[in-house]
Amino acid sequence: MKKDGFYALRIYPLVFMLMVTVVCISIVTGLFLSTKERVEANEGLFLRKTILQAANIPYPDDFREVTALYEASVTEVSDGQLYYRVAQPDGSFTYVVPIEGAGLWGAISLLVGFTESLDELTGIGIFSQNETPGLGARIEEEWYRMQFVGKRGPFVLVDEGMADAPDEIDAITGATRTSLAMRDIINEAVTLGPAIVRGQ
Amino acid sequence: MISKRMKKTFLTPLGKENPVFVQILGICSTLAVTNKLENTVVMTLGVLFTTMFSSFTLSLIRKFIPSRIRMIVETMVIATFVIIVDIVLKAYIPDVWKQLGPYVGLIITNCIIMGRAEAFALNNTPGLSLIDGLASGIGYSYVLLIIAFFRELLGTGTLWGVQILGDWWVNWSIMIMPPGAFFMLAIFIWIVKETFMTEKKEASNE
Repeated sequence: MKKDGFYALRIYPLVFMLMVTVVCISIVTGLFLSTKERVEANEGLFLRKTILQAANIPYPDDFREVTALYEASVTEVSDGQLYYRVAQPDGSFTYVVPIEGAGLWGAISLLVGFTESLDELTGIGIFSQNETPGLGARIEEEWYRMQFVGKRGPFVLVDEGMADAPDEIDAITGATRTSLAMRDIINEAVTLGPAIVRGQ
Repeated sequence: MISKRMKKTFLTPLGKENPVFVQILGICSTLAVTNKLENTVVMTLGVLFTTMFSSFTLSLIRKFIPSRIRMIVETMVIATFVIIVDIVLKAYIPDVWKQLGPYVGLIITNCIIMGRAEAFALNNTPGLSLIDGLASGIGYSYVLLIIAFFRELLGTGTLWGVQILGDWWVNWSIMIMPPGAFFMLAIFIWIVKETFMTEKKEASNE
């Protein structure tokens, strides 16, 4: 084979690249397919946990127990828009509605839980967010989520740790923009959620 | 078994040719993922795995790579290993994967990996390249871990999510934002250069 011949310059690089590509893609595809079920199960489990969080039902760590608890208490309703009907341990029914809105860096998608009368929140669960780690991303922390339990919107923001009245929510220090975004998203959810459940 | 060359290959990236504080490579991820120790550990393991195996693989096929398309081949091999890391994290530790977000995918563009492939793996045996990749990965990792240690401690008062500092501590929010990483990295480079690299400086002054 001549070093500067047609084959060495034009054909061989193409053939070589094709071979490398085929090998690399086969490896990646194989791995993707073999973990596909596991990844989907992880995502489904995460959604179920988030719905239970929004309905303020404590859930166990074990994933089989989470699935059993979810299947026993949550019914998906999808006439018009999707929402979830949750049977509480005390026999009453509450509702969980998926809501999405703009955060600081990207969309925040969350689940908002309503009581049977649809005028009070049972809690919220954050499904996905891209806020600043350590600041805005603290909306995922338990203290932030739990402050919505039993509250009535529309809400006003107060300094972190100061929320007292049923229409006040804590902002997060150092994450003003995320706090404002969350206030707006949840205030919208307070009117949008009941409308979806009532089928309007 | 361990030759002088192997020892030298292993030790240089840890100290005087360190990818982060001497060559100032891989800064993007140094700034992005060092605000929590846990995420940093996963990220550094990902980079370690990728530098090791991409250097090794490229060194194995180095005699067959046409030099005109070597960079495309390098990128392809590196990307393959990065996607392997991404898929494994997604399947087995989804919580950490969610927090690292796009940064796992961005390992592909980490200059350290491409740099080692270009500068070392294409001219050396697979064994040496593996050691070089491992050492470069460790050189990158320990700098990130030191920075993450201080950023998480000062920024949130915690280490690995466990509260360390008491109520008296006021969190330095800037430490967990990207500018905090700039300050920490600069201070780190300054301390290292002033304390360990003074000989070189004096020699160049003469």
